[in-house]
Amino acid sequence: MIRKVLFATLASMALTVSAARAEDTIVWWDFLSGGDGVRMKSMLDEFNKEHAGKVKIDATTSEWGTPFYTKVQTAAATGQGPDIMTYHESRMPLGVSEGVLSPLTPEELAAAGIKASDFSPANWKAAQGPDGKQYAVPLDIHSIILYYNKDLLKKAGLLGDDGKPKGLDGVANFDAALAKLTANGVYGLSVPNDGGSGWRIFYTLLNQEGGQFLKDGKFLDGDNLDKATTALAEMQKWTKNKWAPTNTEYPASIALFTSGKAAMHINGVWEVPTMVDLAKKGQLFDWGAIQIPVLYSQPATWADSHSFAIPDRKGNPVSPEKRKLVLDIIHWFNQHSLEWAGGGHIPAYLPVQESAEFKALKPNSDYVSLAKTAVFDPVSIYAGVASPVYDASGNYMIPALNGEIAPADAAKKIRDDLQALTK
Amino acid sequence: MSASVQSADLVAAPATRRLTRLNQIDIVGLLITLGTLIGAIVWAFPLYWGLITTFKHEYEIVRPGVQLWPEHFTFENYVHVLLQTKIGYWYINSLITSGAVTLIVVMMAAGAGYAISQLNFPGRRFFWWMILASFMVPIPALIVTHFIVISQLGLINTLAGVVGPQLIAPVTVIIYKQFFDSVPKDFREAAVIDGANDFQLLFRIYLPMNWGVTTALAIITFIGAWNLFLWPFLAVSSEDKMNITVGITQVHDNFGVSYGRDLAVAMLAALPVALIYLIFQRRVTQAIMLSAGIKG
Amino acid sequence: MIRSSRSEYLTAAVLMAPFVVIYGLFFVYPTLRMVELSFTNAPLIGPGKWVGLDNYFRLASDHLFSTAIWNTIYFVILSVVPGTILALVIALGVYRLKGWLQSIVLAAFFLPYILPVSVVYRIWGWMFDKDFGVAQYLIAPLNDGQRLSVFRTVPLFMPAVAFITVWWCLGFSLLLFIAGLRNISREIYEAAELDGAGRWIQFRRITWPLIWPVTVLVFTIQLILQLKIFDQVYLFTQGGRIDANMVMVFYILREAFQLNKGGLGAASAVVLFVVIAVLSVLQFQLLRAREGR
Repeated sequence: MIRKVLFATLASMALTVSAARAEDTIVWWDFLSGGDGVRMKSMLDEFNKEHAGKVKIDATTSEWGTPFYTKVQTAAATGQGPDIMTYHESRMPLGVSEGVLSPLTPEELAAAGIKASDFSPANWKAAQGPDGKQYAVPLDIHSIILYYNKDLLKKAGLLGDDGKPKGLDGVANFDAALAKLTANGVYGLSVPNDGGSGWRIFYTLLNQEGGQFLKDGKFLDGDNLDKATTALAEMQKWTKNKWAPTNTEYPASIALFTSGKAAMHINGVWEVPTMVDLAKKGQLFDWGAIQIPVLYSQPATWADSHSFAIPDRKGNPVSPEKRKLVLDIIHWFNQHSLEWAGGGHIPAYLPVQESAEFKALKPNSDYVSLAKTAVFDPVSIYAGVASPVYDASGNYMIPALNGEIAPADAAKKIRDDLQALTK
Repeated sequence: MSASVQSADLVAAPATRRLTRLNQIDIVGLLITLGTLIGAIVWAFPLYWGLITTFKHEYEIVRPGVQLWPEHFTFENYVHVLLQTKIGYWYINSLITSGAVTLIVVMMAAGAGYAISQLNFPGRRFFWWMILASFMVPIPALIVTHFIVISQLGLINTLAGVVGPQLIAPVTVIIYKQFFDSVPKDFREAAVIDGANDFQLLFRIYLPMNWGVTTALAIITFIGAWNLFLWPFLAVSSEDKMNITVGITQVHDNFGVSYGRDLAVAMLAALPVALIYLIFQRRVTQAIMLSAGIKG
Repeated sequence: MIRSSRSEYLTAAVLMAPFVVIYGLFFVYPTLRMVELSFTNAPLIGPGKWVGLDNYFRLASDHLFSTAIWNTIYFVILSVVPGTILALVIALGVYRLKGWLQSIVLAAFFLPYILPVSVVYRIWGWMFDKDFGVAQYLIAPLNDGQRLSVFRTVPLFMPAVAFITVWWCLGFSLLLFIAGLRNISREIYEAAELDGAGRWIQFRRITWPLIWPVTVLVFTIQLILQLKIFDQVYLFTQGGRIDANMVMVFYILREAFQLNKGGLGAASAVVLFVVIAVLSVLQFQLLRAREGR
């Protein structure tokens, strides 16, 4: 009897051991922190729970931007790195030129059930290299929006009956609104003073003027330079008139808004969860978010896309078995991207994007219109996250915003710096 | 206080005129002592402030005002950091790499120092000059080619790859050579007559006679390796291979940023070197004198 | 004393072997390779074409590289000069103390020196934090009552990092100064005191001339150390104005690792290499002159 029990125990132990062996570990790298990080973490937990005993994702989060992409590049060049990583579509040309991305074959994609028709054509194509190969699969489209404090806008008479701001379109109106909102120690606007944020706002304004940042291999060519100057001058006006504070770090710019010390705030959709969570705890005023107002001749908003890619680990490629698992993972995350949309993003996967659940999701539905006029970064090896263009923003656009250099000088320096790289 | 007593003792000459002068000087002396004490408190304050913050709740941390002692003492920051980050891995990695660097450097340096000091062999002078030359090379300038070498060896993202470039320690060889030079020749001659070979000489006479030097060098090498940032930062990409100095600055946890936790993880990283210093204070001092070329 | 020279060679070979392997692998080869690489357009990992002095010409015309050089020099001046003077002043004060009081005070000044840079970064990041840092109580009154983001204000960045570096590294110089002071014979002071020399005269006539060699030593050691500035600048500049705060080692890292230009990175490394080697030779001569006395 005892023997039987012992045998059974041993057998079950052996079973669990072999089950544990059968579990594959997929190494995952991302750069998602803050609200995005929390959401991705819970999705990863859900995935791991659902696939317990089969697949386990072991995730590492690194610092967004240059630190992350430097690590990816040096790791891939030396045959190291993850099995799957997040990658910005804006950086695809640069990534392909660095040789850090491994192409995904049509067969692999089909086997995992990933279809081009499930994505908007532009979004899908942006994940391709100049060689026409597919290097990544998009997860979302994200952009910047205008967050606003309904109480403060109402007091200033800038809130419409529908609860949305009114009279913000056009430079003159927008400036007047900022001036009106700036009172009693409250700023009209807060924006994060990092290179990434500077670029997103600048690029939005430039495109609203109909300007082109890069045309036929030339940066800010012809009258685009003047348009860039105009955009930077407008940004500088915000701080010069004390409508917005200077030298505001990323977290501080959010804190200014959420503590009611700034009536409006321009930042990525990824900060939506921050507001939602605070509101849920009853620690936030009545707030809303809309597409960036049209200050110039046409609507336009900067946008980028988080996607998934497999690194090209030199001499130590991701094994075919793991690649298969990775593609299944990508598909799973796209199918579950409604949860990701809770992070403010617009899902790239059309079955989710067009679903009734997403259409009902607030506040996303208030700004989803921006997708129609979204402008993506120039397709160039000099553009994208952690690229020379982003560096130039940190080096010239932010100082221009803070009034340290004249807008015209900043625009010229940006043009000259970037043009020098192409030689 | 004690300083003024001391200076009064020193000047035993009982001239009245001088005594009044001394009293005036003692006030100045007291002021200097007071200034030094205040300076020490100011100097230590950031350490204290960082440490005490880790024992506060987050709401207390961000409250305006200077709260020198937590209202509600808590270990929650440490509990969180220990349970939710990979700090355990980083600690072990730091221990392994710093321990390996220390062991290899000391053994290599003792051997080379002995050979250069006591043996005659072709190339002896050449090696000596090479060591002096490597003293002048800025190691951070070699990061590019160190990365290439480690990658050619297939050691990128391994602990061995972290250790490798840290093994260049010319100062250690120089110090051993100087100390072995000053061991009296009589010991050597007597042992050689007794039939001892060079390995026995090294391990039975030269090293034991300079045990203090070895301890001092080992401690300072360990502290240096524990504190190194640039190379481990470049050589390692995955989270479970990082050492603690890299881990605490490069990994963003997914649970929101918190001042208390950031500082708690920093205090844990500082703990081993702080303890080593407090326990081996005199050896650390000696090692610093040695490395600066002042015999301690 | 008859010993076979063959067995002596053999012993020497065994004892020198680890040293030779390690130095060959991590010192000689990387140094030669660095010089070779600086004449090519190779990426970080992989082959490249010979381009002669192109990389050096590029450096000469790259305004970011000149920024890096100027910032490095600026940082060295800001950290080494005040650091040395302050260490001497504090050493004079600490030296007067006796017994346990001296141990405690010395430990207070020395402890920061043994901390990892990441810990220093966290502590001072917290001290200076724009919104909750305790140092803002001193900074705000100097800035029209406004809190200030010290590490995001370009003119303040280098002074702030230098200040932190002085706080961090002072302990090292302090120990050397105290050792130097201990080497000065008490009898000289006693004699001077009998002659009625005051505190200031004693310092000018006795302490200063005798501590001068240590001052030179401390100064040159710190000079060479701080030319290699990277860690603090990198950590504090993350997310800020990278190119305004560029320093030489950061430039090497940026070219080679972030922009994948191994050749250009190697060329800038060679420049740093030469600068420090020249200064080190000078330091070595100073040391030899000291030992010769």
